[in-house]
Amino acid sequence: MTITTFDKNMSAVAFAEAGEHDTARQILGANATKQHSKSPAPAVKRKPYLKTIIFGAMSISAYVLLFTNEKLVTEIFTMGGWRWVYPVGAAFFFSFIHGAFASNLLSAIGLEAKK
Amino acid sequence: MKKLLLILMLALAPLSLLAQSALAAGDGPSKDMLKGVITQVNAAERTIVFQKDDTKEFITLVMGEKMLPEDMKMNQKVLINLDKHAATANTMKDISIMFIDMSVSKLLALLVIGAVGGLLSGFIGSGGAFVMTPAMMSLGVPGAVAVASNMCHKFPKAMVGAYKRWKYGQADIKLGLVMASTAVIGVQIGIKIQKYILNQFGGAGSNLYISAVFMVVLVFVGGYVFYDAWKLAKGGGKETVSKLAIAMQKINLPPMMHFKTAKVTISAWITIPVGLLTGMLAATIAVGGFVGVPGMIYVIGASAMVASATELIIAFVMGAWGSVQWGLSGLIDIRLALLLLATSLIGVQLGALGTTYVKDYIIKVVMATTMLIVAVSRGVKIPGYLIDLDLMSPISANTLALLEGISFWSLVLALGSAALIIIVAMVKGMTADRHSKRALAGVSNG
Repeated sequence: MTITTFDKNMSAVAFAEAGEHDTARQILGANATKQHSKSPAPAVKRKPYLKTIIFGAMSISAYVLLFTNEKLVTEIFTMGGWRWVYPVGAAFFFSFIHGAFASNLLSAIGLEAKK
Repeated sequence: MKKLLLILMLALAPLSLLAQSALAAGDGPSKDMLKGVITQVNAAERTIVFQKDDTKEFITLVMGEKMLPEDMKMNQKVLINLDKHAATANTMKDISIMFIDMSVSKLLALLVIGAVGGLLSGFIGSGGAFVMTPAMMSLGVPGAVAVASNMCHKFPKAMVGAYKRWKYGQADIKLGLVMASTAVIGVQIGIKIQKYILNQFGGAGSNLYISAVFMVVLVFVGGYVFYDAWKLAKGGGKETVSKLAIAMQKINLPPMMHFKTAKVTISAWITIPVGLLTGMLAATIAVGGFVGVPGMIYVIGASAMVASATELIIAFVMGAWGSVQWGLSGLIDIRLALLLLATSLIGVQLGALGTTYVKDYIIKVVMATTMLIVAVSRGVKIPGYLIDLDLMSPISANTLALLEGISFWSLVLALGSAALIIIVAMVKGMTADRHSKRALAGVSNG
């Protein structure tokens, strides 16, 4: 039978609860000692609420600005020739600010990549 | 490294312009399409005066047989297709208003397809394009504008997704750039073949060719990926390099290239055909990733995780290149591109972080499921094209309408089921991760 990480952790918990801290650490192996040596309690990462709000506000203002001037924007952006820089540039610009907003939003609601 | 990547990505946009002029042919709109404004309508003579957008010159156009003077909307930008085969010159085939009026329902529809397309894209490297263009067209957007706007939303989305997955250590930049440069040439070849078929067999022949290629590629490649994923799921999810890839890696034909993230050393002569095919397929069915990702997995020998991440780099380069093309002809409706981006930039990052919680084979499952259902959507369209070519006796209008319905809903099903598998796998992975972290925290505190 193979022992999964989960099983290993659970048996470590059982030993820890019974006061056998050393055995628990032994079961967890290098992982636990490594974490222990770094900091006794894992630091709580602060969530980027402020960044989310700032980038969100920037992004919304950009969207509002564009859509309130819809007619002018669509007219200029579709003139062709060198004016390709307008739509492509706008797409880049939005991907930076709105992309940053989206990234911070996901972190703020607790969705982070597995470490 | 972060800075280097940004500079590299920014430098690629102007570079793509150079590639376009060097190759002197693009996947831009057809030459028989006019863009401009109608300034006068003469209902009695069935003619209009039209001011062309690019040269500002006024020309007189004749309405096609089935066209009505009421359809000639003045003082609005329109797209006109000319009928090449008409008896009189300058006869119009069809006319469409370039910018749709944005209603709340259209806006919401764009946001929803953006989110699902983004999620899929972040997870399997491609996806969305096969449904976004038809979806926009069903909202009333002219075909050329739908293709152009989709292209302009695709490259920023792919860029953000590629950046995220590169940060997770999954994207192989070198492999992506090598594949992309050959794919750009593949697109040119694809367009040449398309044009040849269009000239030889007309519109219906071209449609039949596209659908047939779509079906064959999707059924064979999708079927194989599905079989592989099923085998992996049964065997506990341990991925092995395919026998074909191992054989290919043994071919010692210089120049040999080493791809660090993909952990592969392979001759450039093997990557070239894979890149070319990706480009050719992208030009034919608009989803190069359906051959690019399996190609990188089974021919080059990258893992599904690395292949799907690397595909985003290819999508970025090709999308940026395509956007410049369509931008030169002034056909991008930036409103559509930005509305799709509003949710797809969230979706793509969610999909990207989702890959860190799942086993490698889940990516294959999602990819195969999408490919096989999309194959159905194209397959049911084949009878219609065969009838157009007089290769099949006509069937009732009701049956044709039913087939159209099946085609549309299977696309919706493809997206929906893919999104569902991703979300379920992600939630499962996150819950398991949280449990093990909590257990660990309990031990170190207790």
